[in-house]
Amino acid sequence: MNRAQHEAYKRDYAQAKKEGKPFFPYAIYKDHIVAILVFACIIGMAIWQRSFVGPPVYTATSTFEPRPEWYFFFLFQLLKIFKNQNVLEPVIMATFIVPNLLMVLLVATPFIDRSPERRISKRPFALSVGILVFAGMAWLTYQGFAGAAPISSTGVTFTGITPGSAAAAGETIFQTSGCTSCHMVKGVGGTVGPNLTNVGTLGRQATYAGKLPVAVPGVTGPLYKGVDWFVLHTEVPTVDPGSAMPPFDNFTALQYQQLGTFLNGLGVTYK
Amino acid sequence: MSTTDIGPKGPGHQAGEAAIDYVDDRTGAKTGLTWFLKRNIPSETSWFQTLGFAAMAVFGLQAVTGIILAMYYKPDPTTAYASIQHITNGVTWGWLVRGMHKWGASAMIILVFLHMARVFIFGSYKYPRELTWVTGSLILVMTMFMGLTGYLLVWDQKAYWATVVAMNITASAPVIGPYIADIMRGGTNFNSDTLSRFYAIHMLVIPGGIATFIGLHLFLVSKLGISEPPWSKRASRARRAEEAAARSAARERQPQGRREVSVETAPQTVTSEGGQ
Repeated sequence: MNRAQHEAYKRDYAQAKKEGKPFFPYAIYKDHIVAILVFACIIGMAIWQRSFVGPPVYTATSTFEPRPEWYFFFLFQLLKIFKNQNVLEPVIMATFIVPNLLMVLLVATPFIDRSPERRISKRPFALSVGILVFAGMAWLTYQGFAGAAPISSTGVTFTGITPGSAAAAGETIFQTSGCTSCHMVKGVGGTVGPNLTNVGTLGRQATYAGKLPVAVPGVTGPLYKGVDWFVLHTEVPTVDPGSAMPPFDNFTALQYQQLGTFLNGLGVTYK
Repeated sequence: MSTTDIGPKGPGHQAGEAAIDYVDDRTGAKTGLTWFLKRNIPSETSWFQTLGFAAMAVFGLQAVTGIILAMYYKPDPTTAYASIQHITNGVTWGWLVRGMHKWGASAMIILVFLHMARVFIFGSYKYPRELTWVTGSLILVMTMFMGLTGYLLVWDQKAYWATVVAMNITASAPVIGPYIADIMRGGTNFNSDTLSRFYAIHMLVIPGGIATFIGLHLFLVSKLGISEPPWSKRASRARRAEEAAARSAARERQPQGRREVSVETAPQTVTSEGGQ
């Protein structure tokens, strides 16, 4: 809008105000009717859907399903789209770029759209962007609700595991520690974290100078490869840039070794 | 004044007026309130223009229910869960207050987003209300952070692990991410101070921010006025009149428009108009 359009708007609005009516009571009464209806809905929901308390926090356990409140589902679902599986889908898109871009666009809207036109029928671009963003968020939120089914990996069996071996013990730890709440193996499990079906074939490695929270004999840095990498990643997930995984520091040295052996063979020996 | 303003005023009335005058003389409260309440708004406002007030009212409800919950809640990892259970099962009406606070949070998010959609559709964020939009969008972001920090306080499995993951996501942001996460958690990991820190952020920091920005937002709304729906009858009438004027002006400019205006008299009219 240029200066003349600013002046024209001011003149037009002054006229609208002159022909208008006082804020009190003409706007205030409408406001209060709607606010009372909203309050009634809130009290109604509070009575109808009584809030209960879930199981208490038990930090030593790992059986959990990280689910935020419904209004964060759209961000949460982004994590499932950008899973760091390849360069085109870096997890940083979901955790940083997209949310911040949305926030900047939100704040900057009036500085981007500066045309004087206010009728939505004459603003096809604004209308389509608005509908696109709104529909996208609604769809992702819906997906978040739809993906709420509890996930259990019991029943998934792996070939190539010798009973009684370290890998067999590792498999038990994997199945019982809630890993599949976030990670999928052989088509079963959550989609918050990366799919682990073939994780052993990816040849992950990292350098880490710090000490492991739980020292595992034989696993020393600074370069961690193979089984060592899985031990390191389980204890210090942030060695994988962009990882949102909570650190699992409640296993014993032997259990880390067993879990690492199992994970390192996933998709290679254990299928 | 109306016809009731006849005869001497009673001493009570006089004292009341004196008190009002005393305060107004020193604060301008009466003048300000009259300015706020008696200012004109366009005559055709939509029902959709009540959503902002509803969102603010729910913020007030959250404040009241939040204060009541704070009277019983104990922000310590060892007692938080038990205090929530006490509120839900022990305190009279505690379950209702907690339920209202929980559903109020969802209602406020929905209302803030609907209010934003209304402003967007009406084009109300355009001149001169750009900064009103900026303050509003900051309130929206702060409302989301309210939800994030409040979720942990229940201190059950779901709340705890969802927040652990949320904080890990924060920490994964480039450069400043780890620092922000450390500030939020009060350390590099979840520890016994994290809960009280979230509690302080949830009930002191963000509400203070939201209240401040609601104040700014309200001031701008009252100063600039409630926007008129772009399709209101008055606006359409004004637009039609403007278009008609533009059309007739265009017709004037055409050579066959006003034949009788001679070339000699035309500049004279312009100078006389300019001199007025």
